[in-house]
This record gives sequence, structure tokens and C-alpha cells, in this order.
Amino acid sequence: MGRKVAFIAALFGALALVGPAQARVEVQWWHAMSGVLADRLNELVEKFNTSQDKYTVVAVAKGNYDEVTNGVIAAYRAKRPPEMVQIAERGYMTMLLSGAVVPVQDLIEQKGYKVDFSDFIKPVASFWSYKGRMSAMPFNSSTPIFWYNKDHFQKAGFDKPADTWQELESQLYTIKSKGISECGTVLPGDFYWSLLENYSAINNQPYGTLANGFDGLGTEFVYNKTKVVSQVARLKKWLDDGVMQIAGQGFSPEQLFTSGRCSTFVNSTASHGNIERNATVNWSATFLPHESDINSPLNSTIGGGAIWVMRGHTQERYDAVAAFLNFLAQPETQVWWHGATGYVPATNRAYALARERGYYKDHPTREIAVLQLSRGTPNENSRGFRFGNFVQTMLAQRQEVEAVFAGQKQPQQAMDDAVKRGNEILRQFEKLNAGKTLETERP
Amino acid sequence: MTLRLSIPWRDTRAPVLQRRHGGHQSKAGTGAAAGGSRTSGKVRRREQEAGLKRANFGDGPGLPTLLLLPQLLILLFFFFIPSLRALMQSVLLSDPFGTNVQFVWFDNFKTLLASSDYRQSITVTFWFTVAQNVLTLGSALVLAFATDRIVRGRSAYRTIILLPYAIAPAIAGILWAFLFNPAVGPLAQVLHWVGIAWDPNLNPTDALILVTLAASWKHVCYDYIFLVVGLLAVPVSLMEAAAVDGAGPIRRFVSIALPMLGPTVFFLTVMNFIYGFFETFAIIDAVTKGGPAGATNILVYKVFVDGFVNLDLGSSAAQSVLLMSFALICTLLQFRYFDRKVNYGV
Amino acid sequence: MVERSPILNMVCHAILIAGALTVCVPLYFAFVAGSLTVTEVQKVPLPWLPGNQFFDNLQLAWSKGNFSRTFANSIVVALGITAGKIVVSLLSAFAITYFRFRYRMLAFWLIFVSLMLPIEVRIVPTFEAVANAALPLQSLADILHLADLWGWISGHDVAITLEWNMVNTYPGLILPLIASATATFLFRQFFLTVPDELCEAAKLDGASPLHFFWSILLPLSVPNMVALAIILFLFGWNQYLWPLLFTTDKDMATAVIALKGLIPRSDSEPAWNIAMSGALLTMLPPALVVLLLQRWFIKGLIDSSK
Repeated sequence: MGRKVAFIAALFGALALVGPAQARVEVQWWHAMSGVLADRLNELVEKFNTSQDKYTVVAVAKGNYDEVTNGVIAAYRAKRPPEMVQIAERGYMTMLLSGAVVPVQDLIEQKGYKVDFSDFIKPVASFWSYKGRMSAMPFNSSTPIFWYNKDHFQKAGFDKPADTWQELESQLYTIKSKGISECGTVLPGDFYWSLLENYSAINNQPYGTLANGFDGLGTEFVYNKTKVVSQVARLKKWLDDGVMQIAGQGFSPEQLFTSGRCSTFVNSTASHGNIERNATVNWSATFLPHESDINSPLNSTIGGGAIWVMRGHTQERYDAVAAFLNFLAQPETQVWWHGATGYVPATNRAYALARERGYYKDHPTREIAVLQLSRGTPNENSRGFRFGNFVQTMLAQRQEVEAVFAGQKQPQQAMDDAVKRGNEILRQFEKLNAGKTLETERP
Repeated sequence: MTLRLSIPWRDTRAPVLQRRHGGHQSKAGTGAAAGGSRTSGKVRRREQEAGLKRANFGDGPGLPTLLLLPQLLILLFFFFIPSLRALMQSVLLSDPFGTNVQFVWFDNFKTLLASSDYRQSITVTFWFTVAQNVLTLGSALVLAFATDRIVRGRSAYRTIILLPYAIAPAIAGILWAFLFNPAVGPLAQVLHWVGIAWDPNLNPTDALILVTLAASWKHVCYDYIFLVVGLLAVPVSLMEAAAVDGAGPIRRFVSIALPMLGPTVFFLTVMNFIYGFFETFAIIDAVTKGGPAGATNILVYKVFVDGFVNLDLGSSAAQSVLLMSFALICTLLQFRYFDRKVNYGV
Repeated sequence: MVERSPILNMVCHAILIAGALTVCVPLYFAFVAGSLTVTEVQKVPLPWLPGNQFFDNLQLAWSKGNFSRTFANSIVVALGITAGKIVVSLLSAFAITYFRFRYRMLAFWLIFVSLMLPIEVRIVPTFEAVANAALPLQSLADILHLADLWGWISGHDVAITLEWNMVNTYPGLILPLIASATATFLFRQFFLTVPDELCEAAKLDGASPLHFFWSILLPLSVPNMVALAIILFLFGWNQYLWPLLFTTDKDMATAVIALKGLIPRSDSEPAWNIAMSGALLTMLPPALVVLLLQRWFIKGLIDSSK
């Protein structure tokens, strides 16, 4: 074997990453957090950097999730990927089968760190692992919960929102008809996630064949044959009756809730920070409702992002990456991040620690997400979703639901069309990745 | 150099400041729009190479190549290579990281043309550009007519009406989305008070109206200034003669000024289409993001979404190729127009 | 006017006032929203009269949008596009109008094909191309097996990695936006109207082509250049999609992109007051250009016809 020599002809503009020999090894982490969450993330990184003197993690905000994804794709193609990148849950299959990533569990174990991967709470672990091994590091995991305006409910004569969609509906209609608020609820921007996908998991409805895609790339959507159709019809009815409003472009649905205009709001538990700060109303939160004929609702699924490790870096850099990931997995770090942001603690140990310290006595609503995620035993309808090109199928579905809202299509027709379009997209992904499995090479 | 050459820098100062008297036929707006020079074109171009000065520096490729090099290099890297890549990518199925690539012939085009989504996008683009064109040109004509009639405050009006040109389409979009937001927008409130169930987030037609309004708001100034300048060039003597014959101001505008503005209007129509097709991306992105139900998903926005959000590079490239072919046809049409107008055989 | 017609005049004024109002209403509400506190701006419906936070919000927007940096970037990018496009176009227009050479027509068409193809149309491949502009050369090297060849000659195992990454650089922001023929077309049209006698006289005096270009053609072109420069400056300042995709580094963002960062997203505070203050700040420089240099701006519009 000859010597391996690489000529790098970097014309102008190339990022000058390699400086003179540094005492600290520097690695980049591209992320998608903004606002308060970005501030917290920077604090977290700072904690790591000051906790030891060998490695420096540089956190770089690269815009929203789409922008981060595009950035890392371009960087990878230009052979300059960052060491770590935060990707949203919907990009899981794309990243997993890209051949551009190093599975985190392999990396962490290879570098000799002891992280108890079995301690991650179930829906989190199952979402981010492949064949029983964690492929990306859970970072900001959330799940939708049900926010409500306490005063509105009390005025209408209710203690709290009902557990079932049916009873909740009559509550919301009462609130509206008594003129207590202008709208019962506001459609969340990511309703496909909270009101269709999580709805299916909680109510034990299959979303796609082959265990929602966990058992193979041949999966097909089936939500046009489940309660999802009547759920869409329900939303349409609420909309027509003025019980639900759409905030739309330019304004956040959250604003309609925090200002007291709408009485309830389904949104991620990660909005705790904002709602605590901005709400002018007396708010609280509870579990997402379930259908009245479902006796034991299942767990909800996660959303948010995980940290992927990119291929093509030196062992020295991977040392730094492993040290950082190990730091993230520590219960102390988890608890701090949980408290600072509202995202769920990813491990049971961290959750226990937060409980022990009485955190939930002061912040009862922050426990809802964990409880809802770890409710019951996840089955193949509630473990999560494994669909390729999941962003694309989601956008097609959203378009079809919007056609229902606009009165252009009946719910059944729209869901049939969404499934048809989605399946074409899935087939394309299958064709592209025919015969592919996760590369388990060592970095 | 005579005024008949209609050299652009000579024109603007004069027509903007004062109406020209006398009967010469130069149409400042259109002449300049078309690039000036009618007479020089006609006489000389016949006996020599098209688009080449009669007095030139002769043969020898050395110096001109050097002069052309910067532009050609920039075009090579940022126009031709990307276009070529689009062409190549359009016949490939590939994952975004480029680790897995399959050659699929024209599958991407077939899938695209068969998808209802794409056909909807074509329809939407058509209605959007047509509506935007009519609204923009119509408002601009009315405003230009009014500007031409009055004396006092003319430059103040003109200044204000020109202002949107300075505003980035993205910002224009944000402002309009804010104003007409059904929940909090002040103008949406007004609509609700008069009993219109306005909701662009829900109703596809409302959404299309909103982006059309925003796009036109941003672009009226462009058509307006061409028409104002064009109107100034309409000979006063002609108008006076018509007035003596008893034609009222509106009648004169319609039967004398408008026909003289014909070429300008044609030019503006083409430019409005180009604007609507390609340059309204930021407005769509800020106002509706292509929704609801794909009602404002114009072609150029779809290229972006499929490429950067859906990561469906093959389809996005196929769309780019189709759009580029379309734009190329527009370019050729525009050339033919220039050709006829000023007789530039190139 | 030809005849007096007070009623029509009043109608005309009414039309113009309506037009001016249509322009101003969105700007007025941006100002109103920009002068409220964050709680006030969330009120439904929005107040119709301004609050008293205008200057505080401006200040906050300035620092939150990193505008001292992003304004500088915008200026560099806008001026870079302006200067770059004018220089490049002058040279190439000169070449194709004043020289007879074999590939003249080919060069002409190569340039003019790009006339009406804005970058939005080919955004994805352009992004890839600029993320690594050396990629075509790399493919060439791969196809020709240059690495193997070199390895065979030198006896070493060699990998050739060519890289020219322009993400987050000024050239990356500027050059792709120069890649169109609009300005070349304008100068070409103008050169064609320049009297032939000037060139003949210069040739009689024995002036070189470059001398003619520098001392005769260029001074004649100054008005066109100034007018075009204004249009290009506005074009550059107001760019959205390209810098949006292309500047992932906050310190390389332009003002419009920084403004986009101020627009509330679903997971952040709905600080529309700050966003609107930022919008007013960002539109100020181009608005001043239009207001103060109006005559040149109008000339530029009509000249460039694009």
C-alpha cells in the first residue's frame, strides 16, 4: 500500500478550518434552534467547553431545520461537513440511509464511554434507533400536549378539558356559545404532527403498513382507512362552526392562545418557555384527548431533533464528538436542559432526578409530556414513524387537508388522495434505496 | 446627434421635468425601452454584420476575447454549469447526499407531467400572472393618466407612488401578510366589518387575491413610470388638435395617447409576466408559502420547495429545465420584438 | 393643459391620493406596529394609532438583527453586484459591438441566452455549483483518472480533491447574481447609438481600442452607468432567495435576511413590533435612494428595461 496523499486545492473562499496545532480539538455542531432555545443551547455548549480542557464544541446556528439540512447536504457534497448536525425527526430515514453518518452508539462505545442506552425512555429510544442501536443522539425531544385557558373553562362550568374528543367537543361548543371566547381552539401550524400522527399513535390506529415502516421500506400509508378521516372531518366541522381558527402565515397560533382569544391549543411541550413568558392568561396544560371508544390510550410519539455524527473526520475529532455526546447523555445535563427549555428528559434516570428534586411540584405541566410519552407499552402503531421522504409526504398530506378546510374536497376523498400521493413518494424512496441497510462500519 | 436618436440619457431629464412641445415622434418611454436608435438601425444594418458598429476595430480575436472573458467565465460557472447540472440531474434519481444515484431517463419528467400537483401549479401560475398583469397595468394606466392631467403636486405623487420599488419583495410580502391576517390584520378587520368572510389561510381564492395584490402593489410603480414618461412624449400639438375637434380628455387619452403607448404597453406586459413568473418568489414565501391547498404554489416556488424542502432533486431539476426552456422562449420573443421595433438583426 | 376641467382635475387628484394611500397604508401600519410594546402588538385587533416605543424598538431591532454587521454586508453585496456587473458588462458590450471576430455571434448568444433567466429558476443546481464550484473540474479529474495517472508516474497513491467552496463568502453572494445579460444588453444598445464618427476620429488619431474605450466611450457612458448603478444597487440590496440559502453564517447574512430572522416563528416570542421596526430600518437605504436620486432612478429603470 502506497502512502495516502491528499491534495487539497482550496481556491479562494475555502473555510480555513485547520489552523496551527491547537491545544484544544475543535468540532462544529450545526443546529436549528433560535430565540430563547438557541441561548439555552449556547449555555449548554459553554458548560461542556468549560468542564474540560481538551475539546471545544462550536455551536453554529444555521437557520431552521430545512436550512440546516440543506446546509449539511451542500457541505457534505463539498466534502466539508460539520462533525455534528441537528436534524428533525422527519429526516430520520434520509439521514439513516444516506451513507453519510456514523451511528452514535457505535461511536460512543468505540471511544470507551459507558452510556446506558437502555435507559432512554421508550418512544425516544425506539424513534432514534435502528436494529436496536441508537443511530442519532436524542437531543431536543418533545411531544404535543393540550394547553388550555383555565378561566375560560371555569367560566363555562368545567374543571378542566375532558379526556375524550367527544366530550371536549361539547365543552368547546359550550365555551363558544356562551361567548366566553371567540374560538375554542386554534389549529397548530404542525397539525399533521399533533392531530394526525400523534392522534393515530394515541388512539392505536395504524398510519402505514409494516409497523409504520419499522419493518421495511415497502411500507404504504393506510390512514385513509382509519379514524384519521373522521378526525379531519371533525376539524373541518369545528372550523365551519367557528370553534376552531387558523392563525395562518405571519402569525403564530400560539399568539391566539396566549392572548386569550382562543381557549385551547395543541402544541409541543417545548413552548413552555414562550407561554410562561408571553401568556397574559391563566393557562394550564393536560394530556391530548383520545377517542371515547378507546379505553386505554397509548403513548404519544416524539418530535424535535437529534444529533447526527457525520462521516469523514479524523479520530481526534471523533474523540471530541464522543466526549460531547457522553456529556449530553448525563442525567445532570438532561435535567438542566429539560428545565431550561421544556423539552422532555430523554432518560428515565434524568426524569427520576427531576422528580426527586421536586421540580414537578412547581412545574406540574412540565411532567405531562413525559407521562404521556411513557404511557402504556408502545406497540407498532405508537412506536413512531419510519417513512422515507417524510417531509414530502407530509406536505402532500397537508395540502389535501387544506383542500378539505377550503371545502374543495370531502375528508375521505382528500385522505385517499393524500395516501395515493404519499405512496408514490414512498415508492420512489424504496426504489432509490433498494436493498440498502444501515452501514455499520466503524468511523 | 439628433434628438430623433432618442438616446436614453437625453430623454429622461426632459420628459420628467416638462412636456416637450413640437411635433417630433420620438417616444421616450418605448424608444428607450427598446434601447433607442431607430434610424441608425434601419439605414446601416443592411450592408454590414448585424449588431456591429460600422466603425469598428476590425479583426483579431485577441483583445475581444480578453474583454469578454470575465463575463463568459462568470456565466460559465454560475449559469452554464448550473444549467447543465439541472439538465443532468433531471434524468437522475438521487438521494440528497449524492451517495446513491440512478439513471432513470425521463421518469422525472413523466412523473412531473402526470402529477396533479404540477398541473395545479401551472394553472395557478397562469391565473396569478394574468391577474397581476391586468391589475398592475390597469392601475398604472389610471394613475399615469391622472398624473398627466394635473399640474400641482405631480412630483409629490410620483415620489410616493414610486416608493414600493425600493421595498424588497420579501418585506412587501410581510407587510401585506400582516395587514390582511384574518386574526389580527387591521385591513382584514375592515373586511370583516363589512361582512366579507376574508380568510386567505383557509380560502384558496382569498390567498390568490392577497398575493396578487401584494405583487401588484410592489410592481405598479414600474409600469407607472414607463407610462408617465411615455405620455409626456405624446406631442402636445396632436392633443390640442383633438381638443379643438371637441374630443374630451378621456377620449383623447383612449384614442390618441393609448395607441401611441402601444409598444410600451406590450413591453410592460412581457415584463409583468416575467416579474410574475420569476420574481414573486419572496412574496409567496412571506405571504402564503404556496398554500392553502397549493392555491398559490406558483412554478418557481414549487422548484424551490421540491428542491430544498422535499429534497426531491430530480423533480426539482426537471422543473428547472422546463422553466428555463419557457424563459428562453420569452427571451426569443422579446428579441423578435426588439427586432421589429428597432430593427436589430443580431 | 389643453382645457380647464376642474371636476376631472379633482377626480385625478382623488385617484392619485388613493394611489398614494395604497402605497402608504402598509407602511403606516408597519410604523404603528413598530411603535408598540410586545404586549400591545399582540392585541386583537391591532391599535390604529402609534405607541411610544418607536425608538426603543428601533434600537432593539438594530441590535437583535445584528444590523451593524448585516447592513455592512448588504452594502458590500449591493455595491459588489453593482460594480461587478457594470464593469463586466461594459467590457463585453464593447467587445461585441466594436470588434469583428470569428466567434462574435457565438459570444453574443452565449451571453444573451441568460437575459431572462433569473437565478430563482436554477436555484438548486446553482447552489450545488457554488457550494463547490470546483466540482466540474473534479469530475473531469475523476473521468480522466488523473489521480491514477499521477500515482502511476510518481509511485504514490494519490487522491485529488479539488475544492472551491464559496458558501458564506462575498464572492459567493455576488457572482451568481452578476451572471445575467441585462446590463450587457443595455450597454450594447447604447454603444450602437454612439456616432461612428467618434470611433473613426479616434482611429485616425491612432488611438488604441482600449484608449478609445477609456477616454471616449466610458465618459459618454457615465449617465447610463449611474442610472444603472442605482437600479443594480436596489436589486442587490433587496435580494432574498439567494442570500437566504447561501449565508448560513449569521455574520455573512444581509439585512433582508437578518430581518427574516426577526420575524416571529412559531416557537419564538411574537415580537412583531421588533420585526416591523426592523422592516422599516431595512427598507430605509433603498427608499432614500429612490427618494433622493429619483431622476437617475427613473432613467435607470427606463434604460435597463428589466
